[in-house]
Order: sequence, then structure tokens, then C-alpha cells
Amino acid sequence: MINGVSIDFYLVLSAVLFTIGAVGVFVRRNTIILFMCIELMLSAVSLLMIAFSTLHNDTSGQVFVFFTMAVAAAEVAVGLAILSMIYRNSKSIDSDTLSNLKN
Amino acid sequence: MNGLIIICGLGLLAMISEIFKFRSVLFPLVLTGLLAALALNVWEWNNPMHISYFENMIGFDRSALAFSTVILAIALLWFVLAQDYFKSGQHLVDHYALVLFALAGALMLTGCKNMTTLFLGIETLSIPMYVLAASKKNDLKSNEAGFKYLIMGSFASGFLLFGIALVYGATASFDFEEIKAYIAVFQGELPGFFYVGVIFILIAMAFKIAVAPFHFWAPDVYEGSPVLITGLMSTVVKTAAFAAFMRLFMMCFSNVSELWVTLLAVIVALSLAVSNFTAVMQTNTKRMLAYSSISHAAFMLMIIMSDKGETASVNSLIYYSLAYSLASLSAFAVIYLVSKNGSEDITELNGLHKRNRLLTITLTIALLSLAGIPVTAGFFAKYFVLSQIPSDTLLWLTILAIISSTIAAFYYLKIVGSMFFADSYTKEPIVVQKSHAFVLIVCVVLLLLFGMVPGLITELALY
Amino acid sequence: MMKLAALVPLFPLVGFILNGLFGKKMSKGLSGTIASVAMLLSFGISLAVFLELQTAENKATVINLFSWISSDTLQVPFEFLIDPLSSVFLLIITGIGFLIHIYSLGYMKHDDAFARFFAYLNLFVFFMLLLVMGNNYLILFMGWEGVGLCSYLLIGFWFKNNAYNDAAKKAFIINRIGDLGFLLGIFLIFTTYGSTTFGDIFPNAGMASPAVVTTIALLLFFGATGKSAQIPLFTWLPDAMAGPTPVSALIHAATMVTAGVYMIVRSNIFYSMSETASAVVAIVGLATALIAALIGLFQNDIKKILAYSTVSQLGLMFLGLGAGAFSSSVFHVTTHAFFKALLFLAAGSVIHAMGGEQDIRKMGGLKGKIKITFITMLIGTIAISGIPPLSGFFSKDEIMAHVFEYNGLLWFFAMIVSALTAFYMFRLIFLTFYGKFRGTSEQEHHLHESPPTMTIPLVVLAALAIFGGLLGLPEFWGMSNWMAENLDTIIMHHHETRLSHQTEWILMGLAVVSALIIILIAYNVYRKKGLVPVEKEQQLKDWQRPIFHKFYVDEIYDFLVRRPVDFLSESFYKVLDLQVVSLLVDGIGNSVKTFGSYIRLIQNGNVSTYIVGMVMSIICILLFIFLI
Repeated sequence: MINGVSIDFYLVLSAVLFTIGAVGVFVRRNTIILFMCIELMLSAVSLLMIAFSTLHNDTSGQVFVFFTMAVAAAEVAVGLAILSMIYRNSKSIDSDTLSNLKN
Repeated sequence: MNGLIIICGLGLLAMISEIFKFRSVLFPLVLTGLLAALALNVWEWNNPMHISYFENMIGFDRSALAFSTVILAIALLWFVLAQDYFKSGQHLVDHYALVLFALAGALMLTGCKNMTTLFLGIETLSIPMYVLAASKKNDLKSNEAGFKYLIMGSFASGFLLFGIALVYGATASFDFEEIKAYIAVFQGELPGFFYVGVIFILIAMAFKIAVAPFHFWAPDVYEGSPVLITGLMSTVVKTAAFAAFMRLFMMCFSNVSELWVTLLAVIVALSLAVSNFTAVMQTNTKRMLAYSSISHAAFMLMIIMSDKGETASVNSLIYYSLAYSLASLSAFAVIYLVSKNGSEDITELNGLHKRNRLLTITLTIALLSLAGIPVTAGFFAKYFVLSQIPSDTLLWLTILAIISSTIAAFYYLKIVGSMFFADSYTKEPIVVQKSHAFVLIVCVVLLLLFGMVPGLITELALY
Repeated sequence: MMKLAALVPLFPLVGFILNGLFGKKMSKGLSGTIASVAMLLSFGISLAVFLELQTAENKATVINLFSWISSDTLQVPFEFLIDPLSSVFLLIITGIGFLIHIYSLGYMKHDDAFARFFAYLNLFVFFMLLLVMGNNYLILFMGWEGVGLCSYLLIGFWFKNNAYNDAAKKAFIINRIGDLGFLLGIFLIFTTYGSTTFGDIFPNAGMASPAVVTTIALLLFFGATGKSAQIPLFTWLPDAMAGPTPVSALIHAATMVTAGVYMIVRSNIFYSMSETASAVVAIVGLATALIAALIGLFQNDIKKILAYSTVSQLGLMFLGLGAGAFSSSVFHVTTHAFFKALLFLAAGSVIHAMGGEQDIRKMGGLKGKIKITFITMLIGTIAISGIPPLSGFFSKDEIMAHVFEYNGLLWFFAMIVSALTAFYMFRLIFLTFYGKFRGTSEQEHHLHESPPTMTIPLVVLAALAIFGGLLGLPEFWGMSNWMAENLDTIIMHHHETRLSHQTEWILMGLAVVSALIIILIAYNVYRKKGLVPVEKEQQLKDWQRPIFHKFYVDEIYDFLVRRPVDFLSESFYKVLDLQVVSLLVDGIGNSVKTFGSYIRLIQNGNVSTYIVGMVMSIICILLFIFLI
């Protein structure tokens, strides 16, 4: 129980957020939205991590979230850089156009 | 640990070398640094005084040292090979730094003893690799490879994190040993989401080592990336991921093995089938080697299911990683040298023996090793794996592995045959510079040496 | 000091690598020097090791180099065993090997592939050393295969001649047949005793049932018949004379062909335990000795005569092994190595002088022209004929005494072999060195003594052939038989000779007298009457014809083995291969391809598809884990 809310609610909430993110990754075609969906997945995990951290009264979970945020930022930075290159070469940010490598 | 520190230092040096204008000495500096790291590894092996660092988050015991030595040695050979790759492109200093940081991530993975270091190691390894995969800026295929690697890599990272969070929620710890102890005490009373967490971590790791059905990224990324980067992915990245996989599942989750052993068996079977059937049809050499790497990853996974004790498994895994990395590195080196003025198509290798003898011999030995033909290291690598699978419960897997090896031998030997007997469209000889020849010869000699004397590796006293 | 023995095979290996990699770029002098120095160093260390072993307390030293194969039940360490038996062989291999390297410097001087020759020769020595030094059957087998390979490479050394290539192939294939037996023997040993290391097997040899022991002994012996050219696998050795003469001396006389003897002496426990196997060894050995000696009578090629003589002498050694005279056989291996290497090298010197001519009918009267060659070859001939006090006499006599004790009838036939040997060897001497020169005048002008690099090894070997007998003086003379004492620890079951001194004296006297009479007959036929063998087959008498044709063994093999195999393979090819296997294999191959072409469609290049694939898999896994 965290402030009177059962841990199960946090668990379900983050699972739902995570699922929304995951579904978004394969439903959407706009690559920027893809990144946002992945960010959503990572944020859902961060939420869960902090909830557990508070539950166990253990700060290491919260420290872990800092790492997660830093890594997520790095990933998005790299992703946007690659995306700008792709846009320069193909004038499109639709993930469907990126299927030259196959079979 | 000293190796890790040196590699991180080298990475920082590479970043500031542009500012302080010593980029011309960067290459010798990197080589010296790698040699020093190797030497320190050997020293640490003989003087095991400090094993754990940072509150037991990283521990360089002997198995970690063995894996990191393999990684460093392969990286050293890779740097000698990639010398002129760094000369040609723009922003070469960034590439140095990226490779070195990826290497730091790989070393961190070999010594991880905590979910934090596991996660950080994987990301430190992966993020530079995303960039390197996309490093041919004007080539859309390279961009696409980087993009796919990134999207799917971060997607898998999401699962890894979710898994870690769930395990943390159940056990209140990130530490491998504490988690193991917790599982041992509360076995049977663990909440359901703990098992989901373990499965998610396993899936994320399966993605990193590229086994079916989480292998989709590998062929595309291998094909699209620059050849040398692909070489790095299939050697250093794979070895590091396996070192972490083994640490995680043998050190931490060994008490819930009934949960993941069947799952691994299915994954292995699926990978063997998919990779070998698909590889037969490939026309691009790199793509074929990507499928081949999936099948080798499946073989390496079988070691983790072994029931013959930790020492034997770790030894076999080190031997397999080394054999596979050497063969794979020399194969990619040959493709790199052949495709410099040509394509990466398999037909480019036709009649190679009339164009360059050394390249032909190297690729022949490398492919024979990948196919697991005796006198090369690949034979004993596969032999140890098959001798370690629990034969009573997983006999079907052994049989499947042997059948798929036969199919694999077909597409490897087809290339060997075409190198000797097929006509090439050009007879123009390929000139191999001395440093490249050195790497190729070292690889071939080591492959044959370990193939003849596997005891050199498998008798290492790990504990 | 003992540990240094590990270096013995290393030097030839280094020599091989240097000559093999850089031989083309080196001068002939340099590559020859490298190879010879490697041999000299090996010989020096072998000698030091040998001498130390004589005074050492512990007669068997195991040198563990590294763990070779280690997997669950199969543990094969890479170990060398230095004991009296291997140290004797080490000396023979490196010592005679060194002399033959020196000789080759002169003999091969004009050959273009000089460095290649020395590379192969060094490689051969390396494998031969592995063979005798290995502490388990696997290393022995590795050396065994290695020397077979080098033998193949060296027989076909002049690969531009197709007949030579055929001879090389024949040697290789026939050896493979024997190797199969050896390999099966090793498998059986491993499954019976759970190890391939000598030290684990021999003390426990009694644990297996007699039938198994007999099978092991027979399988090992079958392997030996290949390498040591015994019936039924002896036909390759005479053809192997296609190689350069130093090769014939080193590989096909002094060392490799005695590997079978070494292997059986090493495994003597199995033969001591199985009378059947011993009897088979003795009878096969005797039959080989007899047939080869008979064929030797009618050969006209100087090297072929020596080759058949080698087969015959090897047969005698196996007869000795079968009769339980293990140390006597090793003794005979040693003296035989001395005088047969000598004979071959001298024959090489004759061929060198004759400008490549090998037919003794076209020689004659060479005595005065090539003195050193003549004298040394005569010494070799006297030694092989068993005239005292040369070395051959002592070793042969020791075997004969044991055979007499084993079985009188076998002894009688062995005496005939011995007499035949004396006859054809002196026939060789008289036809080659006496009488008038029968070659062309061009050859007569060309006649010259060989350079010192060739004659010095001859002289050294001649000295060894004279004094080699000192290694094993008969015990009933009141002397100490060093060889027998030395090998004492190796032989597992001893049986003391029960012959009275009187009998031994009579046997010895009989042997000497019969040899002398035979030599007189040969003198009468070939010297006094000046008979020269006929040119044409028609002039042969009826009883001579089968012998001239080597008892039609090659033809019989051709009829019994080659033709049925050809027929079978032809029909298998047409029926089985083309109609069944092809369809099956192609069918499997095509279905793999079809299957593959469908699977690869999943890999459609779209990230979304991949992620859907992954998510579906994850859902399946979760369902699988939690619902089932």
C-alpha cells in the first residue's frame, strides 16, 4: 500500500501504459510517433519502478529511474539524428518507405 | 576492471583528440591502450585481489576476465583491420570514440553483477552501435539499418526494463546474488509478476543475441551496416551479450530454471530451423552470415541449458565465442577486402583463388570452422555443445542441431566450392596490405591451433 | 633434463615450417642447413635423454604438455612418454635421420624442389617422433597418419611422373585399409578400458575377456600389416621405391615401416595374453618373409631387391614378435635400420654414379670405380646375410633361437628365408660390382664416386652396421645383452629361454654355415659362370615364372578386389546414385530451398511487421507459460 493505494493499481496502470506504447510502435507509421511510443513504454516502466521503490522503502529503484531517463534521452537523440539523415536521403519519415533491406 | 577503465579513458581521449589536435597519433594510442588492457587482464587473472567494485555492482572474476580478454583480443584485431576505415570517412574521431565506448559497454557486460550494470552495459554497447550501423551517411541502406536497429533495440530495452522493474518489485533488489538468495528462500511464494519479469528479461536478452523469433533485426541490420561494423556486431557484441546472458541466467535465475529451460529449447529449435533454411536462399554474403550468426547464437544458447556444471558450461561458452568470433571476424575481413572494389554479393567470391590466395585460404578455413569441420576450432565448439546437452530430456534438440548443421554445411561449402571452381567475371588480383594479411594469418593460425588443441581454452582454471 | 625431450619433435617441426613457408625464397644451402641442423639438435637432445635414462631410477617419464581433448568421458592429454623403448627409437629416428639428411644434401643437389624435399623430410621426422613418443594411442595414431601422409608426399615427390603418383596413391590407399583396423582397435581399447593412455591400459589389460583381448591384438596387428608391409598389405612397399632414394632409406627401410613393430612391442601385453593373436602374427610374418625373399630372387631393379629384402626382414621381425621375442625384434629393428639404410644409401650412390640407371643387368664391374660405395655396400650385405661378427648376425640369431623354441617348423622355414636373403643379396653384389661393365659407354664415362656429403654417411652407417651387434651380445656367451636388459621394464610377460647352451651353439653354427654355403653358390653362379639374368620372360623356366611375376599378387588383388569394386561402384553409381540418392538428396535440397523461400517472406523489411512478430511471440510465450 502506497498512500492508501494498492500496488496492484500501479502495476496495472504501468502495464496499460506500456501496452499502449507497444501497440503504438507497430500501429503508427510516422517515425517520430514511433519514438514517442517508445518513450511512453520507458516512462511506464519508470512509474512502476518508483512505485516499487516506495513500496520497498528502497531508494535504489529511484536511482535506476535516473539511469533510465538518461538512456532514453540518449536513444532519442541518436534516433532523431538518424531520422534527419533519412529525411535528407529519402525526403520521407514514413516507416513504410524504409523497407529496402528484406528477405 | 583495469581494462574497462583504460577503454573508457581511451574513449574520452578520442573525443578530445580533435580539440587538442593529436588525432594522428590516435591509432597507435588505441592499439597501445588495448594491449595494455589485455596485459592488465592477464595480470588480474594471476593476482585476483580485487574482484568486486562499486558495492558489488561489477565483479571481474576469472570467467569475466576470460570473456573480456576474448573481447579485447578480437577488438585489437578488428582495429588493425579497420585502420583505413578510420582514415577514409569524415568525423573519424567520433567513430573511434563510438567503437571504444561500445567496447566499454561490452566489458561492463562481462562483469555485470547487478541489474543496473546489466542495463547500462547493454545500452552503452547498443547506442554507439546504432550510430555506427548508420554511419554511411549518404547510403539509405545504412540509415535504414541504423533506424531499424534503434527502433527494435529500444523496444527490446523497454521489455528489459519492464522485466527488471517486475523482478525488483518482487525481490526488492537489483543485485544478482541477493535476488538469487531471495528466490532460494521464497521459492513458491513469489508473485506471478516475478515470472513475467524473468520472461521479459529473457526476451530482451534473446533480442540482443538475435535468436528467433526475436531475430528480425539481425539480417537487415547486418546487411545494411558497413562491413566492418557488421564484423564488430557479430563478434564483440555477440560475445558480450552472451557473457551477460550466462551471468544472468546462471548466477541469478538458476533457481527458476524450469521456467526458462523449455522456453530456451523452443527458441533454439526455432532459430536453428529459421536461420539455416533461410540462409540457403541468400545472395548477399553479409545477410547469409547474419543468418549463420543466428544459428550459432542458437548453439551457444544450448550451452546455457547444459546440466554439466558451471565450469564446463563457461569453458564451452568461452571456447565457442572465441571460435565463432575468430571465424566470423576473418570472414567479414575477407568480405571487406573483396567488396572494397566490388559488391557484397556471393557471386563476387567466385574464382577468388585466382585473384588472391591468402583471402581464399582464410575464408575457406573460416567457413569450415563455421560449418564445424574438424581440425578447425568450430568442430570442437559444436562438439562441446552437443556433448553438454542433457541427453535424456533434450535428445530431440541434439538431433535437430545435427540436422541443421548439415544444412549449414551446405551453404558454407557452396561458397568454398565457388571460390575454387567457379569462374569470376574478373581476374584482377586483389592486393592485400601487410597489416590486413597479418590479421588474417593470425585468425587462421588461431582457428587451427584451437581446433587442434582445444585444451588450451577448455582447461583454463576458471574457479 | 627429461623435460627437454619435448623439444625433440619441435626442431623438425620448426624446420618444416621454415622450409615450407620460406623455402622458395631461400638458397638451397640455407634450407638444407636448416633441415640438417634441426635434425642434429634433435639427435643431440635424444642422445642426452637416452644417456640420462640409462642411469635414471625411474625408467618411464611422462611429460605432460597440455590437455588435448577434454570432454566428459573422453580425456586425452597431450603427453610424451620417455622410456627405454621410445628412447631407442628416438635415437634411431634422429640419428639415422640426421645422416640421411646429410646424404640428401648431395643426392638432391640438382633437384629444383630442394626446399620442398627437406620440408617434407622434416615433417616426416616430426610425425615419426610423435608416433614413438606419444603416451596414448591417439597421439600414436596422429603420428601414424602423419608419417603416412609424408610417405605419400615423398613417394610422389617427382609428381610430374604419373607412374610415381600412382605408386604414391597405392601406398596411401593400402595404408588406409590397415589404418581402419588400427582405428577400430583403438576404439575397442577405449570402450573396453575407458582410456587411451598406455599407463591406464596395460596394468588393467587382464580385466577384459580373452576374446576381446584377441580382437584388439588382431585389429592392431592388421593396422601394423599396412604400415609395415606384411601380407596381405605388402604390395605398396616395392612400388614406393618411386620416391627419391634417401626417402626409401629413411622412411621405407629404417623408420616408418618399423612403426608396426614399435606399436606391437608397445602393446606387447595383448599379445602375451593371446596365443591365437601371437600365432597369427608369427605365421603372417613368416609367410611374408618367405614370399618376399622368393620374389627378391628374380628382381633386377637394385632398389626393388632392397625393397623386397625389407619386406622379408620385417616379416622376420614379426615372426620374432609372434614368438614372444619382443626385445629381439627391437634389436633387429635397430641393426636393420643400420644396414638397410646403409644398403639403400649405397644403392643411391650407385644409381647416382650410373646417372639414374637402376637395372643391375646394365651394371657390373663397378668395384674399382666407386670404391667407398662398394666397400660399404659389401659390409651392409654381409651384415644382412648374418655373417659374424657383423650386427645382423646377432639380431637375427636371437630371433632364430626364440623361433626355434617356439616352433621347430617355423624355424626351418625361417632358415630358408635367411639362406635366400644371403643368396639374393650376394647376387646383387656380384652383378653390380663384379664382371664386365654392361651399360652404355656414355654411362661408363660418367661413372664417378659420390661427393663426401654422400660417402660420409655411408662410412658412418657401415661402422654402425659392423659394431651394432654389441648392443645385444648373446647371453649364452656369458655376455650381457644390453638390449634385452634395457627393454626389461617394457615387456610385461617374460619367458626365460629354456634352450641349452649346446643347442644354441648348434643353431648358431647351422645359420653361419648355411649362409656361407649359399654365398659360395651365388659366387659360383654369378661370378664364376658370369650368369646375367635373362632379358625376356620367355627364357624363364616354368617354376620361375610365378615368382618373376611376384606370385601374381597385384593381379590377384586386381581381380579379387579392384574389379568387383569397380563393378559395384559402377552399378551403384548407375542404379543407386543416379536413381535413388540423387532424387532423395535433390528432393531434400529442393524442399529446404522451397521452405526457405517461404520463410524469408516473413522478413519483409518493414519494422512494424517485425515488431508485430515479436509481440505475437511474446504473447504466445506468456500464454504458454501461464495457461499450460
